[in-house]
Amino acid sequence: MTTALSIPLEHVFFLAIILFLIGAFGVLIRRNIIFMLLSLEIMMNACGLAFVAAGARWAEPDGQIMFMFILALAAAEVAVALGLVVQLARRFETLDIDRAEELNG
Amino acid sequence: MKLATMFQAGLPYLVLTGGLLVVMIGVAIKRTHAVAAVLTIVTLIATTLSHIVAYSALGDGAVQIDSMFKIDGVAYLFNILFLLAALVVAFLGSEFLNRRIRFKEEFYLLLLCATLGSLVLPAAVHFASLILGLEIVGISLYAMIAYPEKARPPLEAGLKYLVLSGVGSTALLFGMAMIYAGSGSMEFANSLPSDGSIEGQYFYLIGNAFFWSGIAFKLSLVPFHIWTPDVYHGAPSTVTAFLATVSKGAVFAVVLRYAIEGNVLDSGNVQFALSVIACVSMVIGNLLALLQTNLKRLLAYSSIAHMGYLLIALLIVESNSALGYETLILYLVGYFLMTLAAFGVVSVLSMNQEQELDSIDSVCGLLWRQPIAGAVLIVSAISLAGIPLTIGFFAKYYLFYAGIDGGMWTLIGALVVGSAIGIYYYLRIVFTAIKRPAEDAEAMTGLPWTGLGILAFLGLCMLVFGIYPTNLINLIQNVVQASGF
Repeated sequence: MTTALSIPLEHVFFLAIILFLIGAFGVLIRRNIIFMLLSLEIMMNACGLAFVAAGARWAEPDGQIMFMFILALAAAEVAVALGLVVQLARRFETLDIDRAEELNG
Repeated sequence: MKLATMFQAGLPYLVLTGGLLVVMIGVAIKRTHAVAAVLTIVTLIATTLSHIVAYSALGDGAVQIDSMFKIDGVAYLFNILFLLAALVVAFLGSEFLNRRIRFKEEFYLLLLCATLGSLVLPAAVHFASLILGLEIVGISLYAMIAYPEKARPPLEAGLKYLVLSGVGSTALLFGMAMIYAGSGSMEFANSLPSDGSIEGQYFYLIGNAFFWSGIAFKLSLVPFHIWTPDVYHGAPSTVTAFLATVSKGAVFAVVLRYAIEGNVLDSGNVQFALSVIACVSMVIGNLLALLQTNLKRLLAYSSIAHMGYLLIALLIVESNSALGYETLILYLVGYFLMTLAAFGVVSVLSMNQEQELDSIDSVCGLLWRQPIAGAVLIVSAISLAGIPLTIGFFAKYYLFYAGIDGGMWTLIGALVVGSAIGIYYYLRIVFTAIKRPAEDAEAMTGLPWTGLGILAFLGLCMLVFGIYPTNLINLIQNVVQASGF
């Protein structure tokens, strides 16, 4: 197997999974919408790291290309998200997602 | 593969993208609602018709575009289904925008964009095209859900969908990265671990766990369904109709392709996990729907159950991929008609209101107050319950047939239990709509004729295909066979 990686693949994936979990817990625990979006961004970057590591295992550029795609996706998502956050601040006058909660039942 | 053939096969995508650009430039030059609406509808019709020209390029089987897309007859069938649904949403949307929204034109851009994403998915055979298609649909939908500029529920629904769908996408991406680490290829066809090492197997299994969790988020399957009722409830009904049909159908189209090309279901673990998710979704979705008093929330839970039913079509592809495709397409046709009609009724009734008329009480006596909308609501509820003479019956019959063909007895049991529970709350809608209205209840007037016409058309389709489904089934069978399954 050709490996262009001096760090073992498993270590990189452990790091990526830890980052992913930090992000996931952030989304679950944080109530401020800005921090939830930041946590989402951490999860996205964990995926990017995992792709780069996987690409390095096979010595292919595909992993890095996927990372570029992920960057583009994250940017598009955040652009829409921040627009909605501005609206949230205007209409509910809070960034706390719990206090803006009206739909349930 | 010759370049000309590729362009011909990709014609629908080019037409839709071209139309999207024309609408965008048109809106930038001068904001006119009528022009934007007409251009959008013309684009959707032209894209649908372009499939006729494109179909002759396929010859025998499929046209492969690099390693990203594999365009075949089945993909075209899905495309046409999504385009027609988008057309219905465009018609309903034009009235909704006309009466309730100040800035109207951008809605059409978002609708066309989301439709483009949903056309990408049925042809995708690579993880990159999968995630790009999925996100084009997703990101357009965030904005569509939060479109009304004053009301608060749509905004809350939009943000909820954004965060939770984002989590789903990242789970999906992480799963893809792990599958890629195990197999060395992001094409569906080569995604099984190649070297047979223990390490590769681990990566493959954990990757698939992440991947299917992400998919379950997108399809709102139990236990990843929490967001569904809130988002369906908060979004404008017109958008909910699109969200519940096209975005779900497109995800199903791509995972079916992944399951067939990647032989994912050879792995007993994946198959077991999906069976459990399917059973739980059917039962819990139907049980929770019993408790609802809001029509949109009720339909949201019912759609969770229907997604569970549809997993049977996914699970059958391992032993019989042609039957899997036939079942999926037939069920999707039925599900699209019923769901578009049900949300369409809510949407049309709410046209003149400040807030959506979506509680079950508000449709009390609808058959007498507004006969067309009432009749369509009744037909769609009966069809959702799977009662004969409607398309819902044949769709469910096919599911039973597929389940028996694959010997999936537990799933058939859950399907029977789920359908039995379902009949209770679907009939509740029917009885509420038939009930004689109170003396002081006003007749509903001033509803748009385009909206009512579309609803009547959907209702008629449900009945016609329910009484005489032979042509539809033959068409689907022929296309599936011609695509080489």
